[in-house]
Amino acid sequence: MDINGVTFSYDNKLNTLHGIDGSIETGKVTTIIGPNGCGKSTLLGVLSNHYRPQNGQVVLDGKALTDFKPKELAKRLAVVHQQNNAPSDMTVEKLTAYGRIPYKSLFSSSTKEDEEAVEWALASTNLLDKRKMPIDQLSGGQMQRVWIAMALTQQTPYLFLDEPTTYLDIYYQYELLELVRSLNKEHGISIVMVLHDINQAIRYSDTIIAMKDGQIAAKGAPADIITADAIKEIYGVDVVVKHDLQAGMYIVPIGI
Amino acid sequence: MKAGRNMSWFTRRRVSFIVVIALLIVVFVQSALTGSIQVTPYELFHGLLTGTNDDVAIIKDLRLPRLLIAVFAGAALSVAGVLLQAVMRNPLADPGIIGVSAGASFMSILMIALFPTMFFFVPMFAFLGGALAFLLVYSLSWKSGLDPLRMILIGIAVNALFTGLSQAIGFSGGGLTQSMSQVTTSTLTLKKWSDVDVIALYGSIGILLSFFVYKWCNYLALEDKTAKSLGVNVNLARFVIALIAVLLASVATAVAGMFAFVGLLVPHIGRTLVGNDHKVLIPFSALAGALLILLADTLGRVLIAPNEIPASIIVAVIGGPFLIFLLRKSDRIYGY
Repeated sequence: MDINGVTFSYDNKLNTLHGIDGSIETGKVTTIIGPNGCGKSTLLGVLSNHYRPQNGQVVLDGKALTDFKPKELAKRLAVVHQQNNAPSDMTVEKLTAYGRIPYKSLFSSSTKEDEEAVEWALASTNLLDKRKMPIDQLSGGQMQRVWIAMALTQQTPYLFLDEPTTYLDIYYQYELLELVRSLNKEHGISIVMVLHDINQAIRYSDTIIAMKDGQIAAKGAPADIITADAIKEIYGVDVVVKHDLQAGMYIVPIGI
Repeated sequence: MKAGRNMSWFTRRRVSFIVVIALLIVVFVQSALTGSIQVTPYELFHGLLTGTNDDVAIIKDLRLPRLLIAVFAGAALSVAGVLLQAVMRNPLADPGIIGVSAGASFMSILMIALFPTMFFFVPMFAFLGGALAFLLVYSLSWKSGLDPLRMILIGIAVNALFTGLSQAIGFSGGGLTQSMSQVTTSTLTLKKWSDVDVIALYGSIGILLSFFVYKWCNYLALEDKTAKSLGVNVNLARFVIALIAVLLASVATAVAGMFAFVGLLVPHIGRTLVGNDHKVLIPFSALAGALLILLADTLGRVLIAPNEIPASIIVAVIGGPFLIFLLRKSDRIYGY
C-alpha cells in the first residue's frame, strides 16, 4: 500500500495532512502515533478511504483507493472504528455476520462460505461461547472483540484499527493487542492501527509512524526511531528510554 | 431477568404476531357488524356473498371502505415511521412530527385549491409535498452528520410552516373548505371505494418495497463509518428508504388525513415486543398500526353514537398511556 503526496483538509482551508508520502508494508504491524490533533486518525481515515484526499492518492494493489467500488474495497480492507453502535438486542453472531455484506447482494441469503467465515472469526476472537448472546450483555473488552470479529469476517488482507484500546482497562487492552499480534502472526493479516500509548506501540509494532502537525515526523522500527530527542520533538515530553532484558525497550516520561 | 428475555425472544415474537393478527381479525369483523345498522355475522357474510340484504349493501358501501382505509392508513403510517427512524437514526422521527404529513397535506390542499378538477391526482401531489418537506428537514439538519436534536427541531419548524400554510389557505378560500376537510381532518367518514383503491394500491406497493430494504434499515443502525467500511452505499440506502417512507406517509395523509403520533407510537411498541431487527419489525408494525387505527376508529364511531370522535383523538388517548407504560417497563429506547 503506497501513499503518494496525500493532502487532506476537512474544510478546504486548513490542511490536516500535508504532503504525506510513504508505504505500508504487507504482512507487518504498523502503528501510527502522535499527539492529539496531529492527524493520525485522519491519516488512518484516508488510508481506509473514509476521507478522500484533496491531492495525491493512496494506492492498493496498483489501484487508487478512490477508484474501488465500496464492496470491492471492503473485501481487501476492513476497519474497526473508534466509535461503534448497534442495536442492543442483536446477537454476537448476527453482528459478526455483517462482515459478509461485501460478499452479498441485498437479496442473497447466507452461504456455506459465510458461515465458515463467521465461525473462523468467532474462534479467532475467542467468542464462540458468546455467539448467541445479545451484545448489551458483553463487557467493553468483549464488545471490542466483536467489532474485530466483524472485521475479520470480511476476510481482508488488511485490518485497520482506530485507537482500539481506548475505554478498555489494562487487562483488556493487552488482551486486544495480543489478539491483534496473533492475527498478524498466524493469519498474515497486515495491521495498521492508531495507538496513544507509546510503550504499547513499541511492544506490538514492526513499524511506527510518528506524526506531528499533519506530517510524518519519523517512520521506522521502534528501536530506530524512539529516542528521547524524538519524543521531546514530537510530544514535547521529556522521557528516559530504557532497555530491560524482560521488558525490552520502554520509555518513562519524567516531565515536560 | 435478562437471560429470561433471551430465552423467550423467539416465542415472544411469535406470540406477539399471533395476538396482533387475531385481534386485527376480531376487531375488523366486530367493527363491520357494529354501528347505526347492526347485523349478525351470518347476515353479513351471506349478504356480502349474495348481495340480497339491503342493510349489508349499505354496510358494504359506507362502512367497509372506512374500515379498509383505517387498516391501510395505520399500516402505511407505522411503516413510514419505522423507515424514517432508520434513515435518521432517530427514535423521534415520525411523519406527523417532522413535517412529512403536513407537507403532503399542504400540497394536496394547494393543488385542490388551484385545480379543483384534478382531485384524482391528489395522492401524487401529496407525495410531492411530503418529499419536499422531508428534503427540507434532511438537508437543513445535515451538518457533517445528522444531529438528532437539530433534526427534530428543524422538523418541528417545517411541520409548523406547512401546517400554518394549510390553515392560511383554509382561511382565504371560502368555497374550498368542503373538499379540504378531506385532507386536514382525520375522521374517516364518507370514504368511498375509490379512496380504498388509491390507498390499497400505493400502500401495498410501499409496504412491499419496505420488505425489500429491511437489511438496509438494519445496516443503518450501525455508525455511518462502520456501514461504509462494510461496503454499504449509505447514501443510496438512505435515499431509497426515505422515498418509500414518504410515499407511505403521503398516501395515508392524502386519503385518511393527518394522524400524528402513529408513526412514533407503533414502532416503539414493536421494538419492545419483537426487537430491532427490521425483518420482523416492519411487518409487525404494519399489522399493529392497522390494528391501532382500526380500533381507534371503531371506538370513535360507537362510544358516543350517533356522534363521532375522530380516530386520531382516540389514538392519542389510548396510545399515549400505552407508550408510557411500555417505556417504563423497558430500560431501553430505540435499542441503545
